[in-house]
Amino acid sequence: MRTLARIAPFPATFLTVLLLASCAAVQQGTDILAGAGKISESDRQAIAKTSQAVSATFSEITEEQEYYIGRSVAALILSQYPVYDNRVLTTYINTLGQAIVYSSDRPEIYGGYHFLVLDTEEVNALSAPGGFIFISKGLIRRCRNEEMLASILAHEVGHVCAKHGLQAIKKSRLVDAFRIIGQEAARLYGPEELAELTTAFEGALGDVVETLVVRGYDRKYEYEADELAVKFDVATGYSPMGLTDFLQTMVGDSSTAAGKGWFKTHPSADQRMEKVKNRLSAVSAVPEEAQVRTQRFQKNIAVLK
Amino acid sequence: MVFFYDDGSEEVQVKKPIPLTLISTLLILIVTLLVAETLTVKVQSTSLRSSPKFYASSVQALRAGDKVEKISTQDGWIQVRTAGGVVGWVHSSAVTVPKFDLMATNQGLKTQASAGEIALAGKGFNKQVEENYRAKHGELSFVWVEKMLQIKISAAQVEEFLKKGRLGEFGGAQ
Repeated sequence: MRTLARIAPFPATFLTVLLLASCAAVQQGTDILAGAGKISESDRQAIAKTSQAVSATFSEITEEQEYYIGRSVAALILSQYPVYDNRVLTTYINTLGQAIVYSSDRPEIYGGYHFLVLDTEEVNALSAPGGFIFISKGLIRRCRNEEMLASILAHEVGHVCAKHGLQAIKKSRLVDAFRIIGQEAARLYGPEELAELTTAFEGALGDVVETLVVRGYDRKYEYEADELAVKFDVATGYSPMGLTDFLQTMVGDSSTAAGKGWFKTHPSADQRMEKVKNRLSAVSAVPEEAQVRTQRFQKNIAVLK
Repeated sequence: MVFFYDDGSEEVQVKKPIPLTLISTLLILIVTLLVAETLTVKVQSTSLRSSPKFYASSVQALRAGDKVEKISTQDGWIQVRTAGGVVGWVHSSAVTVPKFDLMATNQGLKTQASAGEIALAGKGFNKQVEENYRAKHGELSFVWVEKMLQIKISAAQVEEFLKKGRLGEFGGAQ
């Protein structure tokens, strides 16, 4: 009895060792722990999920897979828009983008964040999973200062951080993909598995591209990206008024670009502005817009004027 | 010099430890050292930095799959030691946290869902699947995708950009 009394405080220790001893024992072990009331049901499920990794949600997509999905989505976007290949502008957009990334929720991703200008007067900004971010010439032209441009890039970085693109992928594709991933130990697939995985991959790309280019994200993701833009702007030192200023210029824009691209895939500017203003009232201290940045902005985008 | 060390196992204070208790305590210590403190780099490449800042100087390059040992944490950054004994900082978003982080709380078993990423590394939608997809869609160009990935902005460039724009720690950040 004395021995038992001394062991009693350590049942979790023993079960932990048991858990770690064998992967196969994990499911069984968590059932025991849950049954004994030692861990919560959510913990038990989390352990079971980790041990099997076959459940089918976007959050199970690894960063490396996100990168491969992003590469092809980027290729598909670039098959629809030509690139505006200007070294000064590309470097400026990428440096500004990277500054925001450093203050974001997910600064390090598999292949890093990269930004490209699209050679179109259409007003648009797109972000593929895995950090491939595009902004149109037409959209940059509508910005008056660095704060406005920073807010747009921060909104797109927000979509990548929160994995909004991946959430557009239909569950059935993931079920198919994870089934094959779960059953195959090898990383190099045989023809049959490869064909099935490629079909799921193609389907996933279609889901993401349709959402980015045609349908637009669910509104709640757009509002979330606006919230993240405010957060990242402030964290980087930009005035988040850049976002409201930009949305204000978009309200009532009846140019030829209206009805296409950004206008088609985003909630109306005044609806977004209302939500962003609410958000701003919750920010304790808002950085000021700085003349030095506006001058730098004008110099770097001069090629578009 | 006094070092404070809390290994979270108050159990060691049991009087006249019986062998089984001792073994379990030792096991948990070993498991803690071997599993809970080892992090795996999950991004293609990153730097081990001299201080917890992106534009701090690079101490060593790290690649996907590299293992590092956690020493401490600070504002989203983790101080780590490489297998070669080099100490530096990595951002928490660059590494996968271990399956069972016994040190993370004193409330017992703590799990990390992202641990599955280690088991899945290189699997699923990978290079082989992309190549097969590209073989089926020969018209789709990846030229600009590759060029885009070649755009590299150094941490020093970003630091200069922040400085000149009076951003971050050089100006407006709250």
